[in-house]
Amino acid sequence: MHRGKGMKFVGDSRVKANNRMVNMPKDYSEYPGKTEAFWPDFLLKEWMVGAVFLIGYLLLTVAHPSPLEGPADPTNASYIPLPDWYFLFLYQLLKYAYASGPYNVVGAIVMPGLAIGALMLIPFLDKGPERRPSKRPLPTAFMLLALAAMIFLTWESVVNHDWEAAAKQGEIKEQVDIEIDETAEGYLIFTGEQGKSCIACHGADMQGGAAAPALVGNELTAEEVADVIHNGRGAMPAGQFAGTEEELQVLAEFIASLKAEE
Amino acid sequence: MSNNRVSRRQFLNYTLTGVGGFMAAGMLMPMVRFAIDPALQTKADGDFVQTSQKVADLTEEPVKVDFSYEQVDAWYTSEVTDTAWVYKSGDAVVALSPVCKHLGCTVNWNSDTEHPNQFFCACHGGRYEKTGKNVPGTPPLGPLDEYEVSEQDGFVMLGKKIANTRG
Amino acid sequence: MLNKIYDWVDERLDITPIWRDIADHEVPEHVNPAHHFSAFVYCFGGLTFFITVIQILSGMFLTMYYVPDVENAWKSVYYLQNEVAFGEIVRGMHHWGASLVIVMMFLHTLRVFFTGSYKKPRELNWIVGVLIFCVMLGLGFTGYLLPWDMKALFATKVGIEIAASVPFIGELIKVLLAGDATIIGAQTLTRFFAIHVFFLPAALFALLAAHFIMIRRQGISGPL
Repeated sequence: MHRGKGMKFVGDSRVKANNRMVNMPKDYSEYPGKTEAFWPDFLLKEWMVGAVFLIGYLLLTVAHPSPLEGPADPTNASYIPLPDWYFLFLYQLLKYAYASGPYNVVGAIVMPGLAIGALMLIPFLDKGPERRPSKRPLPTAFMLLALAAMIFLTWESVVNHDWEAAAKQGEIKEQVDIEIDETAEGYLIFTGEQGKSCIACHGADMQGGAAAPALVGNELTAEEVADVIHNGRGAMPAGQFAGTEEELQVLAEFIASLKAEE
Repeated sequence: MSNNRVSRRQFLNYTLTGVGGFMAAGMLMPMVRFAIDPALQTKADGDFVQTSQKVADLTEEPVKVDFSYEQVDAWYTSEVTDTAWVYKSGDAVVALSPVCKHLGCTVNWNSDTEHPNQFFCACHGGRYEKTGKNVPGTPPLGPLDEYEVSEQDGFVMLGKKIANTRG
Repeated sequence: MLNKIYDWVDERLDITPIWRDIADHEVPEHVNPAHHFSAFVYCFGGLTFFITVIQILSGMFLTMYYVPDVENAWKSVYYLQNEVAFGEIVRGMHHWGASLVIVMMFLHTLRVFFTGSYKKPRELNWIVGVLIFCVMLGLGFTGYLLPWDMKALFATKVGIEIAASVPFIGELIKVLLAGDATIIGAQTLTRFFAIHVFFLPAALFALLAAHFIMIRRQGISGPL
């Protein structure tokens, strides 16, 4: 600190009372060559970039509301998980034979650990004075290789993912509250011997499950229901019903009657 | 000056470090113990859930046993319902999970007339032998999971789901 | 009036040198897009900081409605997104910002790498930068669980299983992250919330401060 005779202070503080710095920006002539003052010259340019960026950003938030799937249900065993997109390459890596199963440690720990470690230690691995990428081929090549690998793995994982199924499994399901008449003839067929394979997937409460949709609140007519039972639909195989044609008719009418109230 | 004399400045530095260390430890020790508590909690051994199935009633034929238990997750308790296929194999009681290893449908015992005495999944025709071993050529990729089993007062107790040990 | 207030404060605290140093420092030609368009690559660091500021602000506001509890977390997110005015935008900013900040930070890292700016004397700043990168990925991972929807739960299950595959201490890491040896539930959510909202941001602030102080002290790396 500057000390000595002739120093004056503000009261009993350590703040100098004389020779205070004048609050005047440095003159532009003091900036050599094409250098620029940070404030306000350069910052204005940065903020212009920032403003354009913000517009795009806000448009994105308006155009694509952030996704929200149904509430977490730990009992749903069939959900196929997917991490956020920037972890996709790791996720894909873990699908390969020598990075999964008994080699899981390789894919999950060793490879990412080596990558992060190498990234962290680059200044000590690449110590030469050259800065141009073309003059230090090894670091450049490694980085380009890593980049290519990440892009490839992300791409592979996107292509191999069933996006339709993913959207479906996460849907916010509306709970349909319909009183099921458990003494109805149709319900007895549904839960009885003839319909044994029905409850396996659609559940005794007819609310569906991991493998099948809910039956309550369906939008089908009795004929359509009978057709689905005969011929199957989507994941449902054909010819599951073990009862007679009359029983099927009763069952179809019963299921078709389970409509959401308008 | 002799070599092992501690100067005033050194002494003050050591003391400062010591007091600082004490303050840091005094602040952080309770907090760290607080944070790592889950890792040090000993699990109560009551992990087995009692079912309504009497061991004496079991035969070689698998029966469906529904059971539910309270899952305690700290302050949040929830009622979890599950199902198992239980049968006797010699003297041992076997309990298999009904969740198909293909897409998570529910398997049934002996429900396919063409393939008796097998677990059958209606969704895509997956089949398993009685041990839970998947029949090759059908969709499932692995055997049915198994529950740890014990017995109490003549009733079947089911524990954790484990990988099949019989297939 | 404003000048008088400034003078009054400056007389007592001598604040002029503190901020004049930042305001008047020379920005070299090679990072200025006005002179060389290709210098736009030097914007990525600033944009990363810009989004970080947006993330901090939007996150602060989101906690006005959000509850980190298994019963209510999803409902509170659903409510703030669908019932609260501009909720969709505030949550959208936080959601998309989380992705954009990773993109910008990645581009910034590549710029620093390919201009060789990590070389002596800037090794330490590079290391701090990589640590910031890790903290950001941690923020992304912990934040993903908070809405407590299907994809959040199951992605976190996978993530925790990966952490559990670390040799020797994997199980310990798993329990410390999840709060329970087997259940991904109530305690996992509160832990992730604490890490996402307090622990990692605190680390981020310290690292960012170190990053900026070092830049100001050493200046930006010269032209290639």
